[in-house]
Amino acid sequence: MTSPFPVSSSAPGEGQIVVEILPHGISALSKITFQYPLKLISPSPAAGQKSVLVFLLTYGGGLVGGDQVHLTIDVKPDGKLSIVTQGHTKIFKSPTRDVITKQRLHVTLQDNAALCLLPDPVQPFEGSVYQQSQTFTLVNTASLCLLDWVSAGRTARGEDWDLSTWSGRNEVWALAEPGGKPRLLLRDNVILAGDLEDSKDKGLRKKMQQMGIFGTLVLRGPLVEGLAAFILNEFATLPRIGARDFRSQDKMNEDSGITLSLDEKWRQTRLAQEKADTVLWSAARVRGCTVVKFGARTVEGGRVFIGSLIKQEGSISQIFGEDSILCIR
Amino acid sequence: MVRGASLPPVSLLTLTGTLTSSSHHFLLLLSDSALPLGSFAFSSGLESYLAHTRPKSSFPAFLNFSLSSYASTTLPFVLAAHRKPIDLIELDDTLDAAIMCTVGRRASVAQGRALLSIWDRSFSSALPAGASAAAVAALKDFTVLLRATSSNITTGLPTASAHLGPLFGAIAGILGISLRQAAYVFMLSHVKALLSAAVRASMFGPYHAQKMLASVEIQEGILKVIEQEWNTNIEDAGQSVPVMDLWIGRHEMLYSRIFN
Repeated sequence: MTSPFPVSSSAPGEGQIVVEILPHGISALSKITFQYPLKLISPSPAAGQKSVLVFLLTYGGGLVGGDQVHLTIDVKPDGKLSIVTQGHTKIFKSPTRDVITKQRLHVTLQDNAALCLLPDPVQPFEGSVYQQSQTFTLVNTASLCLLDWVSAGRTARGEDWDLSTWSGRNEVWALAEPGGKPRLLLRDNVILAGDLEDSKDKGLRKKMQQMGIFGTLVLRGPLVEGLAAFILNEFATLPRIGARDFRSQDKMNEDSGITLSLDEKWRQTRLAQEKADTVLWSAARVRGCTVVKFGARTVEGGRVFIGSLIKQEGSISQIFGEDSILCIR
Repeated sequence: MVRGASLPPVSLLTLTGTLTSSSHHFLLLLSDSALPLGSFAFSSGLESYLAHTRPKSSFPAFLNFSLSSYASTTLPFVLAAHRKPIDLIELDDTLDAAIMCTVGRRASVAQGRALLSIWDRSFSSALPAGASAAAVAALKDFTVLLRATSSNITTGLPTASAHLGPLFGAIAGILGISLRQAAYVFMLSHVKALLSAAVRASMFGPYHAQKMLASVEIQEGILKVIEQEWNTNIEDAGQSVPVMDLWIGRHEMLYSRIFN
């Protein structure tokens, strides 16, 4: 006797989000599905919300060895979506290197749609095996703000890049017209190969040069152009390394008496924080996208740095709402 | 009977393939430091590394990082272009999409264009008899594309950039150099350029540089990264030393620089 019930189409770790704009101009979810070990929650829509807010969660705050998460997101024309997390995504250890924990994200952004993905860092534990891939397909009028960052592990327990393997891939594809062939704009792959259990030489730790966090910020599209230009300008005006101060003492006294503008004050504070937390960063325009790479000695140092840039410029919270920057405040 | 000396771990200099003495000749030309690629102008991040880590800089550590990083980002493209030269245009574009900073892009494109120029002006008239016509045609198409447009106005994306990696792989293949030899020469040339930059940055003298170049560590290091990347798909090529992107990206922050 055949089963009277329809065949189940759900698979573990699979999720789908579809965002559409409602007649009165507010973005809303027309579809949100998920299955263990993926969990998605979205607060009830508020009247003046600038974007839909979705929390990307896992059970227990992390993924166990072998968990596979596959999330597909479609933001329809004029829709806006912000994705945040409730704390680091912990990657627990795998019994062997063949047991791979995977997260895959496939995003399509249509005409004038926008996505802000500013999650907490991924925290790979000792012995974890993790692969992440995030693919974004955008039409020319769509916008994307993406932060992908990874920490050294449970530093409070003495972990310092003791993961087995970690690889993260971010791809941005441009779609000239709907139904056309997408063109690859950016493929950012980071591959961290952990040391073998029996090896005494902490090769990966040496490679990470005392950074406790490493991250990439990718910006593409008209809505984030302001932030991109702002960050590129800040990079260009970073003080030169090895520059010497040739001013006379009198000139120095004169200069220190000048009242700084608010922007300048912010910049001086930020530069002091970069120095204190050993923040290294660079920004560049790459094939129509702006890519910022940064590393810091501590996770907090990295968070303060990237948060400071995004908050000072202000357009992300203006366009997506205050909650979009929850994880970097 | 006297036993002969044992073969090196991988017999790279065995002349396999149909084009023997000619390919040996081109192998020596492509590995020559006098090949006018302009590699001397770039330090592959060494200068920036020194500025950031002074006084605790360690050349052997940086050499290891650079070997790992250059192999994981670029070697898969060299291998892919050698295996299938007709994919050259696509490989060039895919590598362009994977380079995250302007300084690195500049170094790769400058050397790539120089290599293409060498091909055009110097090598193409001395092609070995058995050279693949399809591969030569692919190279010609690429040159035409490169000259035709500098950048697509609507997308702002280059149609062709002329990155060093894919071009090296394709040209080495046409000249009859085997895949293993091409990979070895590519990585060895990178090490030589780095040592040369270190000598010019006054880290040590030329004799010490030659000692490092001759060392077992370098030989094994190169073979190890070639083995690691031998089967890596170009989609999986990426940065294995994230801080290298930061050092190279910040190169232009140096107040005074010897290298580009």
